[in-house]
Amino acid sequence: MAQVELREVVKDYGSFLAVKSVSFTVKDGEFVALVGPSGCGKTTTLNLIAGLLDTTSGEIRIGDRKVDDLDPKDRDIAMVFQNYALYPNKTVRQNLGFPLKMRKLPRREIDEKVKAAASLLDITHLLDRRPRELSGGQQQRVALGRALVRDPQVFLMDEPLSNLDAKLRVQMRAELKRFHQDLNATVIYVTHDQLEAMTMADRIAVMEGGVLQQFDTPERVFEEPANLFVAGFVGSPAMNLVEARLNRDADAFVVESEGWSLPLDPVNSRRAAQATGPDIVLGARHSTMTLHHEPGEGRVQGRVYTVEPTGDLTYAHVYLGKSIVVVSTDPQTRIKPDETVWISFDQSRLHLFDARTRLRLLPE
Amino acid sequence: MRVKRIGGWSVTGWIFLVLLLLYAVLPMLWMLITSVKTQFAAIQYPPEFIPSNPTLEQYYRLLSPSSEIGAQFLRYMWNSIYVSVLTTIFGVGVAVPAAYAFSRFRFPGRNALFFSVLFRNMFPAVVFLMPLFIMMRWMGLVNTHASLVITYLTFGLPLSIWLLKGFYDNIPVELEQAARIDGCTRFQAFWMIVMPLSTPGIIATAIFSFITAWNEYVYALTFLNSDEKLTLPVGLQRFFAEYSTNWPGLMAASFIMSVPVVVMFLVLQKYFVRALTEGAVKA
Repeated sequence: MAQVELREVVKDYGSFLAVKSVSFTVKDGEFVALVGPSGCGKTTTLNLIAGLLDTTSGEIRIGDRKVDDLDPKDRDIAMVFQNYALYPNKTVRQNLGFPLKMRKLPRREIDEKVKAAASLLDITHLLDRRPRELSGGQQQRVALGRALVRDPQVFLMDEPLSNLDAKLRVQMRAELKRFHQDLNATVIYVTHDQLEAMTMADRIAVMEGGVLQQFDTPERVFEEPANLFVAGFVGSPAMNLVEARLNRDADAFVVESEGWSLPLDPVNSRRAAQATGPDIVLGARHSTMTLHHEPGEGRVQGRVYTVEPTGDLTYAHVYLGKSIVVVSTDPQTRIKPDETVWISFDQSRLHLFDARTRLRLLPE
Repeated sequence: MRVKRIGGWSVTGWIFLVLLLLYAVLPMLWMLITSVKTQFAAIQYPPEFIPSNPTLEQYYRLLSPSSEIGAQFLRYMWNSIYVSVLTTIFGVGVAVPAAYAFSRFRFPGRNALFFSVLFRNMFPAVVFLMPLFIMMRWMGLVNTHASLVITYLTFGLPLSIWLLKGFYDNIPVELEQAARIDGCTRFQAFWMIVMPLSTPGIIATAIFSFITAWNEYVYALTFLNSDEKLTLPVGLQRFFAEYSTNWPGLMAASFIMSVPVVVMFLVLQKYFVRALTEGAVKA
C-alpha cells in the first residue's frame, strides 16, 4: 500500500476546465471519499489518478513514484467501476484471473489467488458462471474481487454501490468498510452520496466546479464546513441556510432578516466582525434548533408550514420570514401546520457565512 | 377460460405477410423448378409446376470443367469469389479500426469526416460510374479486378463503418479501461476485450461486404471487358445473350450463384440479426 499525492493537478478539455488545480494527499492505508454533485470533477480526478486521462498540468505521485507518464497498467492500481465492467465473455474465474494472467503469473499461482479472493468474498460457488448470470450484488463482489486479487498499491472506486438497491447498498457499504479495515488498504472512493462518504471515509474531499472545497475528516466537514457549498451539501436534511443582514448593536451584532432578528453571542459576534459586508448567510442544522410553543429570549417567531414524522424524529418545516427552515423535534411534540412557534438556536453550533466570499466566518 | 379473439387486423396482417412471403419465395422456387426441367419442358405452355422428367443435366454441364460452358462458368465464379473475398477482407480490415476510432476517439473534424463517409451513400451508384471509370483509366486499372475491389470498398465501407460504429458504441468504454488497469496496453484492450465482443458485428459486416460485391452488376459490366475477367452477374448476362433459349441452364447458373449467399446467411444469420438489433437498440 502507498500514499497518493496530487499537486496542483489540472485537467483542461479546451472548452471545459474539469479540474482546477487540485492538491491533496491520501495517506498510506487511508480511505478517502471524493464527493460532490455530478459534474464536479470527482470522476475526472479519479481517472487522472488511474491514468485513464492525462493531466494538463500538475503532478501525481503514488508511493514514491511520479506516475504522470505511466500507463494505467504500470501504476499498480486497481479500480472498481460503477457498472462493474466485468468482461461479459469470460467466466467469473477468468475475470478474477485476468489481471494476474496479464502479469504473466504462473497458472498455479493464479488459481490459488483467485480461490483465495473468491472465498474472501464468498463467491466460490459462482466461479464458473458468466457475469450476466449473476445478480447485481454478486457482480459487485466479482468486481471487487478482480481489484483485490492483485494486491495493488491503491484501490480506486468509482461509485461502486450506486447500481445496487437500497438494502444491498447498506450491506455492501458495511462490507467495504470492513474490507478496508482488514486489508489496511489505501482507497480513493468517488461518490455523489454524501452519506456514503460520511459513513465510510477516514477523510472526505468535497469537490464542486472542479475545485476542491474542503478536505477533512467527516466530523469536521460536518461541524465546520469551509464554505456555503460544503454546508449545503453535507448532511441530510441539508443545513438550513438563511440570507440575513448584520447590524451592529454596541459591541454585539444582531442578525436581521424579514420580520425577525437574532442577537449574537460574543463568540459569534467576533465571527461577524470578520464579515466583508453586512450581507451574511446564517447556517444552522435541524438538530441545533429547538421548537417552543411560547416566546422567550433569543427565540425567533415562525409559522409551521408542514410536519414530517419519520418515526425517530419529526421534521417541522417552519417559515422564518420568507425562508423555510427544517427543525427536528421529538415525535411526541404536538405541532400543527399554520401554528405559530418560536425557534431557539444553539449558538455554539451556529454558522455564519459571508454572502460575498461564501466562506464560513471564523473568529479572528 | 378466455378465448383469444381473432381480430380483423390480425387476419389482414397475416394475409399481407403471406402475400409478401409468396412474392419473395415464388421467383426463387420457379428458378429452382425451371433449372431441373428439360429445355423443351421449360418453354412448354401451359407450364409444368412439377417437372415430369426432372434432370440435373444443366448442373453437370455448368460444373464440369471439361465442357466449354462449364469452364467459362467456373471461371466467372472464381472471379466473383476472388473479387468478393478481397473486398470483404479489405472492407473489414479498414472498417474495424475506422469504426472503433469514430466510436471512441474525439478528434478534430470527427463529425465532418463521419458525415462525409455517409455523404457518399446519398447518391445513386450510377452517378459515379463515369467519373470512376475515368479515374480507373487514368490509374491504368480498367479491366482489372483491382478496379472492382476499390469501387466496392467505396460503396461498402461507409455502411460497414456505420454498422460497426453502432456496435462499438454499445460496448461500455469501462471494459477497456478496466482492461488497461488490469495490465493491458491500449491495443491489447482492444484486441483481447473489444474484438471478441464485437465478433457478431464483424461477421455481419463481412456478410454485408461479401454480398454487395457478389451481386454488383453495373460497375463490373463497365470496368471489365475481357471475357476471362468477368464476374458472375455480368457473365450470366452473356449466357443469357448467347444461349437465350437455354432457360434451364440460365436458371441453374442463377441458382448456383445464389448458393454461397444463402449458405452464408443460414450459417451466420443469428449473428447478423443480433448485430442489426444490438447496433440499433441500446442495451
